Amino acid sequence: MATVVFDSIFKSFGSTKVLHGISLDIADGEFMVLVGPSGCGKSTLLRMLAGLEDITGGEIAIDGRVVNDLDSKDRDIAMVFQSYALYPHLTVADNMGFSLRLRNDSKARIEDRVAHAARILNLQSYLHRYPRELSGGQRQRVAMGRAIVRDPKVFLFDEPLSNLDAKLRVAMRAEIKALHQRLKTTTVYVTHDQVEAMTMADRIAVMNDGRIEQLGRPLELYDQPANLFVAQFIGSPAMNVFDGVYKNNSIEALGARWPVPPGTSAREGQSVKYGIRPVHFDFGSGIDSEVVVVEPMGAETELVVKIGGQSLTIATHGRSSAAPGDRISLAPNAKHAHLFDATSGLRL
Amino acid sequence: MNRRLLSEAKLWLVAIPVLLWTLIPIYHIFLFSISTKDSAFSGRLWPDHPTLRNFGTVFKQEHFYLHHFWNQIWNSLWIAVAAGAITLAIATCAAFAISRLKVRGGRTVMNAALFTYFIPAAFLAVPMYKAMGTYGLLNSRWSLVLAMVTIAAPYAIWVLKQASDKLPWELDEAARIDGATPMQLFRLVYLPLMVPSLVAIFTYALLLTWNEYLYAFLLLSHENTIPLAVGLGHFLASDDSPWEILMATALIYGLPPAAIYYAFRRYMVGGLTSGAVKA
Repeated sequence: MATVVFDSIFKSFGSTKVLHGISLDIADGEFMVLVGPSGCGKSTLLRMLAGLEDITGGEIAIDGRVVNDLDSKDRDIAMVFQSYALYPHLTVADNMGFSLRLRNDSKARIEDRVAHAARILNLQSYLHRYPRELSGGQRQRVAMGRAIVRDPKVFLFDEPLSNLDAKLRVAMRAEIKALHQRLKTTTVYVTHDQVEAMTMADRIAVMNDGRIEQLGRPLELYDQPANLFVAQFIGSPAMNVFDGVYKNNSIEALGARWPVPPGTSAREGQSVKYGIRPVHFDFGSGIDSEVVVVEPMGAETELVVKIGGQSLTIATHGRSSAAPGDRISLAPNAKHAHLFDATSGLRL
Repeated sequence: MNRRLLSEAKLWLVAIPVLLWTLIPIYHIFLFSISTKDSAFSGRLWPDHPTLRNFGTVFKQEHFYLHHFWNQIWNSLWIAVAAGAITLAIATCAAFAISRLKVRGGRTVMNAALFTYFIPAAFLAVPMYKAMGTYGLLNSRWSLVLAMVTIAAPYAIWVLKQASDKLPWELDEAARIDGATPMQLFRLVYLPLMVPSLVAIFTYALLLTWNEYLYAFLLLSHENTIPLAVGLGHFLASDDSPWEILMATALIYGLPPAAIYYAFRRYMVGGLTSGAVKA
């Protein structure tokens, strides 16, 4: 158990700068998710914490101790890789006990620790198999077992679920979360999937282009995105965003007048981006739209509508009787609308 | 159907000449080795009185040219195994250092290794002879071992480096995080995963050395130190060579490589082609 502190971390590969001064404090026992599009630097940051990449500038501390010049093996961390990285020539038990064997632990202790981890992960009956004899989900569990066995200060996950099919991914997501609730080990988890981030994290750091765009609890990011990037990255289906102008306490956009969220700092005549999530529309008197596509999903229905030539997504609970070509009237929920500066993209 | 027949016919058209090309000399050797001295050149496809006496003559060293047969075949084996083992050791360490530890100058070493093959072996024969003489190794089996290692090692390094490049990089990272030192990584992760390639390279160096004639002829001249390949050459020293005995010896000499190749064919195909192309 430990805290992790990134203090203005810089990283460049040759002349390419990939991280521009990342500072991030992770509390003891916290589940921190780094999320962002590919190439945003989240994996690099994790690999620097793991000791697999050099640190160009700044300091990383685990449990109060600066680890910049410490070898991976001396950092007391365990990592789960996207490709699992199981040793193909070793059995499940030997894979899980490998780190203890390197530490010269006694055979009895290794067996004991491996059995303990296997019980947690339900792997008891696979201990004598080889990785090639396991399914993707089982391999993933072995990779996690290898991490658990060591009882490290910090768990690192590098896109651990990307290689699994959709159904298994949801199941493993719950398993990792349950594991964290049981072990309460500080965890840093990297993913490009915002749903994974939302469902698993205590806090999320949304990264883009080598910077942290916003750091906060999942619902904070959803309700109060600090800028356009976070607004569009978090939430599924994605937020509708379009250009508008603030006039007479409302927004003129797409040939209609849109209600302004309370407490906005927008000025008269300012160009803004208006953002509203698909679920924050009511049907009834309001803005006229034409239905283009209807996507029924059982529990909810997604409609793609056209307003002033732009496509917007609307999500409704339950079923919808709308059909393509229908005209419906939409009332955006002002309380849940967001305004961003048109040039800087910052929340107003 | 017709098209399949045609393509199969084309295949046979290539396969039959290749098969004959390979098998006729071997059959020729075999035919000589079971013929008596008188009937060896009779021109028949099968001798009137096939005999195994030639082999007996060889095994009992009952001919002037064969007084050191067992000694020489032992030399062949000793030199081939030693050259194979040393080549393997050098190439494995080099490949690990260059491919996995990414030592500085690795690329240069790889290019230099390839460059050595631009220089023909015959070109190096005299300098090699001179060098061995300087070190006082002439007529020692070690001279041939060392010469063959210099010839086999560059290719071995190249193949093993390519093969190691194909091992997933994450395994090294996982091992490092698990606490492995470079030596532990080498011993516990790298070597076990490289076994097929290592077997292939060991076999390659062993067979290359077993079949070597030029350097063996050059560096070794004492009857007790020469390998059998050179011993066989001595048969041709007289005007009236005992062909039937030469061929029987040659057949015996050819068997170990065939056996080794057969035993390790699985590794040879996988191992040598795995590093053959730069992916």
